[in-house]
Amino acid sequence: MKGHERDTISTDSTSLKSPVVLSLALHLLILAVALAGWSWTNPVQEPEPRSIAARLISPEPEPSPLVDDQDQRKKDQELKEKQRQKAEAERKRIQQEEAQREAEKKAQELARKQEQLKEQERKRQEAQAKQKAEQQARAKEAARKKAEAEAKERERQKAEQERKRQEQVKRKALEEKKRQEELRRKEEAERQRKEEEARKAAEQKRQEAERRLREQQLNALAEEAKKAQENEARKQREAQAARAREAQMLTDSQKYQALIRERLSQAWYPPSSATENMTARLQITLLPTGELASVTLVSSSGNTAFDNSALGAVRSLKRYPVPDNRDSFERYFRQFTIEFNPQRLR
Amino acid sequence: MKVSAQNKAFAMLLSFGLVAGCSSTGETIGEGDYGYESGSDVAAIDEDGGSTVYGGAEGEGVSSTALSDEEREEARAQAEQAALRNITTFYFDFDTSEIKQDARDALVAHARYLSSNPRQQLRLEGHADERGSKEYNLALGERRAKAVERFLVVNGASRGQIETVSYGEEKPAVRGSSESAWAQNRRVELIFK
Amino acid sequence: MLMTRKSSNANLKRNMVLFGWLMVMLMAASAARAELLIRITEGANAAIPVAVVPFAESGVMPAGDKVSNIVQADLTMSGEFQLLAPEKMLSLPSKRSEVYFRDWRLLGQRYVLVGELTRSGQRVEARYELFDVNREQRILGETAGASASNIRSLAHHISDRVYETITGEPGVFSTKLAYITLTTSGNESVYRLQVSDIDGQRSKIRLESREPILSPAWSPDGKKLAYVSFETGKPVIFIHELATGKRTKAADFPGLNSAPAWSPDGQSLLMTLSRDGNAEIYQMNLASGKTTKLTNHWAIDTEAAWDHAGRGIFFTSDRSGGPQIYYMERPGAEPRRLTFGSRYNARARPDSKGEYVYYIHQRQNTFHIARRNLKTDEESIITRTGSDESPSVSPNGRMLIYSTQQDGKGVLTVVSADGGAAYSLPASEGEVREPAWGPISR
Repeated sequence: MKGHERDTISTDSTSLKSPVVLSLALHLLILAVALAGWSWTNPVQEPEPRSIAARLISPEPEPSPLVDDQDQRKKDQELKEKQRQKAEAERKRIQQEEAQREAEKKAQELARKQEQLKEQERKRQEAQAKQKAEQQARAKEAARKKAEAEAKERERQKAEQERKRQEQVKRKALEEKKRQEELRRKEEAERQRKEEEARKAAEQKRQEAERRLREQQLNALAEEAKKAQENEARKQREAQAARAREAQMLTDSQKYQALIRERLSQAWYPPSSATENMTARLQITLLPTGELASVTLVSSSGNTAFDNSALGAVRSLKRYPVPDNRDSFERYFRQFTIEFNPQRLR
Repeated sequence: MKVSAQNKAFAMLLSFGLVAGCSSTGETIGEGDYGYESGSDVAAIDEDGGSTVYGGAEGEGVSSTALSDEEREEARAQAEQAALRNITTFYFDFDTSEIKQDARDALVAHARYLSSNPRQQLRLEGHADERGSKEYNLALGERRAKAVERFLVVNGASRGQIETVSYGEEKPAVRGSSESAWAQNRRVELIFK
Repeated sequence: MLMTRKSSNANLKRNMVLFGWLMVMLMAASAARAELLIRITEGANAAIPVAVVPFAESGVMPAGDKVSNIVQADLTMSGEFQLLAPEKMLSLPSKRSEVYFRDWRLLGQRYVLVGELTRSGQRVEARYELFDVNREQRILGETAGASASNIRSLAHHISDRVYETITGEPGVFSTKLAYITLTTSGNESVYRLQVSDIDGQRSKIRLESREPILSPAWSPDGKKLAYVSFETGKPVIFIHELATGKRTKAADFPGLNSAPAWSPDGQSLLMTLSRDGNAEIYQMNLASGKTTKLTNHWAIDTEAAWDHAGRGIFFTSDRSGGPQIYYMERPGAEPRRLTFGSRYNARARPDSKGEYVYYIHQRQNTFHIARRNLKTDEESIITRTGSDESPSVSPNGRMLIYSTQQDGKGVLTVVSADGGAAYSLPASEGEVREPAWGPISR
């Protein structure tokens, strides 16, 4: 993985992948986006939100008439009344305004809705118109195509007719030919029939030959099979014989082993200091005659007198009893190991 | 009991034999059997001077020595003891130092004798038969001797009178390798000094 | 871990290939012919055939037995060799060039000893060679010399060397024997303590007494004998210095003083004393005369003997009714009974290797010498004679001498330690008893 990581990055500055160019492009892009963003960020004009304006209800300043004292109360009352009326009127006005506003709102709402509806209608109509237009277009197209197809068809038919005509001509010619051919064919057939006969005859012969061949082959196969079977049987017999020989060799070898063991036991004088822990191992090589070719001490008992007694025993046998069968001899007695290890019966 | 009975009988017989030798052949001490060949009425007096005299009818004869019953009894007892003390060899079974029952009487006699003769010194020699090991037999002989010593001391002798030694199998009484020889060698001998 | 994926793959592949080969080879090996192995677990239970050829002589040899005859007798006595009678020899070689191994093979001999004696003045030199017949090799070749009057020692030395070469064990033919003889005429008995060669020859009387002498015991250095003598009328232990004839009384307490046994360092004697009333075993320091009581039982405790390591003590005790062999791990420790099954076992003598202990053992109304394997506890009787006594083991643990009866007379017999062969020492005047096998002196 690291190897890939170690791949060096190209440093060609003229390529499009140059960092400077990239940087510039990036800045331009940002700029473009920003500008585009401007136009983009112009949503549908929403009406300015009307907050509950706390309008200052400021009584309109009325010219203050001269007032008598007498009329002061009355004037007061009237003023109050006026004020009340004004207030009332104001209230009403406010109410009216409110209502008006409300109505306006509603009207606006309505207008909006109507507009919306209109819009929708418009759109629908647009769409409809579009659809119509499309349909028309399609129809036109279809018509065009149809016309095309028709034209093509007509053409084809024409061509077909032409072909047919030509074919007819050809056929006629062919028929003529045929007639002539027929004649020829008849002759031919006759000839062929004759040939056929000959061929059949030949075929029969061939088949006969084939059959005989097949027979032969079958026979041969049978022969082979038989041979194979015989072979198999023979092999089995041989294997059995080999096993028997093996077994014989084994029993032979065991027999001769026992003989050798007996002879060596009789010929071995272990020193009186020998213990059951002492083991001397000797490797023996014999000649087919049973004579000792060589003896080597491969594992000492640790006691020289003991080792020497083992060597003496092995060397004291002039001829080792070995099987006459050469295979048995080679297999078991050409080279073997003798282990001397006294086991006291006391 | 057999040995002492035998000894008793022997002692009796001995006494009678002495009489018989000098006088007539009185075979039995029977009632009124006075058939003597010599026909004499008077019997000779033997050397001991204390033998029984036969003559005439019972009670008719006059004995030459007049011993009282007591004295006779004592004499008889003494003779018995002397006879017992003649036995100075005591035998043992194989590999044991156990004193046989029939040896007791004689040993008691010896003990009494030693007790009444404090200046008498005695040497006990212990032996064993030849079988087995020499050293073990040496110890066995000693144990036998010591067994006899103990018995004597218990029965009156004093330790100071007795000396023990063992010869093991080294000094057999009878040579040979037979049961009888062996039996005769398994012994303690009393040697009066 | 620093390998790239590619190279780790390569390693794995290589390992698998190797493993595959290993399996193939293993299978091949097991399928291949396994070599025949013949095991010999016992040998001829017979003596080794050896031929000692009469040595050639140059010069007049001293009168007496021939060196080769003495060697023959020595090797025969050991019970381990079967000596070929000289009349059967096809040739009489005295050196290698004259040895035809085929001849000796025909005669079935395993070893041949040849040699030559040369007399020069009062000295006799022997050159001797020992050959392994089957390997056709000389396995020993030496010269040794001795004064003409000491020709027997020269012969015994050659026997030792031959024995050592063949068996790997030290020979004991130069050791001495101590024993007691008894002659009686009428009522007179004469006891003699004698020391001789191991074959009974060249005996010398060391003590003569009218009273019994018992239990001779060799000091470990072979220079002294301890024994029990009745010369004072009771058993007393003496120590007798052989070279000077000097004697000292080691123990003369009331009662028994018997069964002396030397410690391996020669500094103390085990003995049986009855001064406390009955036979017990004591250890006496010879320098100080101080005694330590080792047993404390009303029964007879006697015949103590140190084990081969000089740590524990075997002894005879009849604390269980009859004499049996006991063993204490250290002096004074609680004894452990070793012998069972027979009502009489006494006089234990362990060998110097700690393998066996030999003792008198009663079986069917007679007494044999038996030996017990100290590891396996197996007991076996090793004497064919009866009325056997006083076993004494050879210092190499291979032979045992003991006294027995022959024609009503006491004789000494040597057997091989497993009882295989027996060799009676020539009968001497009177009865012979109480043999003690002396140590190997280096």
